[in-house]
Amino acid sequence: MRLRHFAMTALLSLTAAASRAEVTGTINPPLSPRNASYIIDARLDPANRTITGSEVILWRNITTKPANELQFHLYWNAWRDDRSTWLREATLGSRRVVPTVRPDERARIDVTVLGVRGNARADLTTVMRFIAPDDGNADDRTVLAARLPQPVAPGASITIELSWTAHVPRTFARTGVIGNYFFVAQWFPKLGVLQDTGWNCHQFHNGTEFFSDYGSYDVRMTVPTGWILGATGVERERHDNDNRTTTHRYHQDDVHDFVWTTSPDYVERRERFEHPTLPPVDMRLLIQPEHARQAARHFEATRAALKYYGEWYGAYPYGHITIIDPAYRSGAGGMEYPTLFTAGTRLFAPEHVEDPEDVTVHEAGHQFWYGIVGNNEFEDAWMDEGFNTFSEARVMGTWGAPTYFSQRYFGGFVPYVFKDIVLDRETDWNRFAGYRRAAKNDVQSTPSFRYYAASSGVPTYNKTALWLNTMERWLGWPTLQRIMSTHFSRWKFKHPKPQDFFDIANEVSGRDLSGYFDQVYRSSNAFDYGIQDLRSDKDGDKYRTLVVVRRYGEATFPVDVRVTFTEGKQVTEHWDGKDRWHLYTYNWPQRAVTAQTDPDHVLLLDVNLTNNSKALTPLDGFGPKAATKWSLKWMVWLQDCLLTWSVFV
Amino acid sequence: MTTVTAVQAWRDGVRRVARAPAIVIGVWLITTLVSVPLALAIRVELMNHLGASMAAATAAQGVNYEWMQEFADQATGLGVTFRPTIIGFAAVLDNLSAFMDAVSRPVVVIGAAATYLVLWLFLAGGIIDRYARDRATGAHGFFSASGGFFFRFVRLAVVMAVVYGSLFGFLHPWMFDQLYPRLIRNVNVERTAFMIRASLYVGFGLLLAAANVIFDYAKVRAVVEDRRSALGAVAAALHFVRRNADAAIGVYALNVVLFGFTLAVYAVLAPRAGGTGWMMWVGFAIGQMYVLLRLCVKLIFWASETSLFQSRLAHAGYIAAPAPAWPDSPTAEALRPNPTPNP
Repeated sequence: MRLRHFAMTALLSLTAAASRAEVTGTINPPLSPRNASYIIDARLDPANRTITGSEVILWRNITTKPANELQFHLYWNAWRDDRSTWLREATLGSRRVVPTVRPDERARIDVTVLGVRGNARADLTTVMRFIAPDDGNADDRTVLAARLPQPVAPGASITIELSWTAHVPRTFARTGVIGNYFFVAQWFPKLGVLQDTGWNCHQFHNGTEFFSDYGSYDVRMTVPTGWILGATGVERERHDNDNRTTTHRYHQDDVHDFVWTTSPDYVERRERFEHPTLPPVDMRLLIQPEHARQAARHFEATRAALKYYGEWYGAYPYGHITIIDPAYRSGAGGMEYPTLFTAGTRLFAPEHVEDPEDVTVHEAGHQFWYGIVGNNEFEDAWMDEGFNTFSEARVMGTWGAPTYFSQRYFGGFVPYVFKDIVLDRETDWNRFAGYRRAAKNDVQSTPSFRYYAASSGVPTYNKTALWLNTMERWLGWPTLQRIMSTHFSRWKFKHPKPQDFFDIANEVSGRDLSGYFDQVYRSSNAFDYGIQDLRSDKDGDKYRTLVVVRRYGEATFPVDVRVTFTEGKQVTEHWDGKDRWHLYTYNWPQRAVTAQTDPDHVLLLDVNLTNNSKALTPLDGFGPKAATKWSLKWMVWLQDCLLTWSVFV
Repeated sequence: MTTVTAVQAWRDGVRRVARAPAIVIGVWLITTLVSVPLALAIRVELMNHLGASMAAATAAQGVNYEWMQEFADQATGLGVTFRPTIIGFAAVLDNLSAFMDAVSRPVVVIGAAATYLVLWLFLAGGIIDRYARDRATGAHGFFSASGGFFFRFVRLAVVMAVVYGSLFGFLHPWMFDQLYPRLIRNVNVERTAFMIRASLYVGFGLLLAAANVIFDYAKVRAVVEDRRSALGAVAAALHFVRRNADAAIGVYALNVVLFGFTLAVYAVLAPRAGGTGWMMWVGFAIGQMYVLLRLCVKLIFWASETSLFQSRLAHAGYIAAPAPAWPDSPTAEALRPNPTPNP
């Protein structure tokens, strides 16, 4: 007993010590290969909106092939002029950013020095060239390549030196400056990912995000003194310079990107996430002054994400997280970066509506799906965005009070909360309505950067969340949770491909789910099952009941068909859903009342739910009653509309 | 003669509207009659979409938001307006917001609104004439006045269309699509942007109100003074408002307050989605009470402005209350082939 007491005390002491341990950004032993580590020194000139920087990259070739050249992302050149691939693709989408930006507000990044030091010392500045591996656009300058004088053998390392100058844009795609709010993301020359097949270094596309190797980042940022700075990692040093600037040094191991933000206006808050079985996490919130009263909501949502993702998939290993509340119209809202994310809220943000909680859970959740499991967002964005939307929906459906639908009026400023409409996980949080509208727009297995820009989010976010949730309802949460946690543990700090997930799903579930993945991943076919016909006619002393169930969509999935008869009798049939239609007949003393396909709503991708059921006689007249009720409400709306316009007489 | 204050004129306007309930009921009937065909049309659309689906049960018992979205996604024309924003007080916000932001509506709704405005244009002469006399004029007298003033008001409507058209066709896009984006271009604080937008709403609203006041008094002067020239009536209205600015603005402001109060009451009482059965009809009745109140407010605008005008510019030759002697309005008299001699 005494021994047990001693053990408990020791354990509690260790836990307390661990929770008091200083978070430094250093992680030992390494969690990732750390084959691309960066030491960066950057100086911000806020007046001229420029960044002057230099960096040293310690890069190791972890492939089985020698590397003959280097390829770098220069993301900010995507907004240099209208000829970039990003801005050309923007015209296909809905981002109307181009006309509102003056030429002097465009971005650019110019590499002034590129060299390799060490034994293979060489100046590569003169051999730098822009390439366009995706579309051959000669005017796109988002990928820089330079041939190495000597190949880097597998397992060998080199040290790369770069200097560059960059112009901070007026915010484009969550990056840039508005007023004195700077959000500096994707801002430095960054190596692509070398794979056995060669460099994976895509041009910057309008509809996609990023991909890079893990490493350690040690970054010095010089900004005006008094400005508050937030960044990936932990602040190690800070010193004031003579010229009214301050240099902040941040460090973080085992991440694949580095972001920072600075503004004199941020209000800083700190809280801590604690959990009986998960490691503690220091939470730092930089919030806009006008949102300061919403700080607790940001912390609670972050806590929810850390708790549920931690319990379901695995622990958050960094010990700290920074939440950024972006400035109004900065366009920086809702984006993930390692150990830091942007949330996003509004001046008028009633309780129990979507934001800021939903966006906070989503972006905090990206620390797991994107940050820790680092899939290629250019090619398989659904693997983080979709997994994360599914997880976010699950958190929102599990955590806290109901969330109501809300709408904004008067230029989008004034919210109104519809207490009649509680958002539900299966449809609303999984973004079903958006999926239904663009279900067939793209095959999910198409590389993400080739999705149709205007609807690229649908196969990425919505469809994945819906098919994962369908798997949950089909196989059960314990099975799906094991699939996802296995995927998480096997692929953390690595770059999984889709087949890796599918293999794990088959292995863990003990079933061959390939047919399902063929439907949802390798096809853009829509699911639509419905009751085409229901009859129940007197035949002697019994009723002859006919149920015709039809597959209206091209995609197939096994569905149940439930027929309910008088006296409460029910029969549930299991249909493989492969034929175009199927007939069920019954000769029973009871008369059929209703028939339903997929009565338990397992298949969340069914694009037409209204045709899923039929009542023999409109159920207690609910059809006409519903139509009457809603037409009366609509009529009052119309009367009000007429009255509003009557001001003209 | 004692000068009537804005408050007195407004109270007198309320009294005049209260003394003529048939007008309130009449305009409510018209509002309803214009709406009912479209409501029936959308009912058919909803019925067809629901069919015999069990989704109808949840749609009847509360809000089946999924079905609502599915319906709206496949709808065209009128159906695209079937969204959650029709529920309760959201309907008012939706319409006011759409009005202030100049959001267009489906053609069918615009058609209904055009019909509605023409009907108001027809009735306006009779209504103002009735309030000016402040005594029962009978259906014949009312419609005679309506008919008599209709074509003058059509001419006035041309002027109004030019002014309102300029406000919404040129000024509004300039203020909200060009000026506003410029003003908030470098604003990164939402409160500031909100204040700027609110200021623009106020500015635009004031211009709209100014035009509204002028045109209201133009109608009043056209009726009370039996003016035939639309431009002359507008000029006279301008003259009146300029010389009686305090009272004219005061009356208008009191009416705006009453309008706001009506909205506030409805914001509290507006029915939520609810179910079917008698509660559905109670909800609908509350909606109709709100519509009636809104109509009363519109009529009080005219009645109080008529009262103010009559109190400030009384003249023997004008229609002025109280003058309960035959004939009715000069127009009615002119329209009658054999006017009955005064008793």
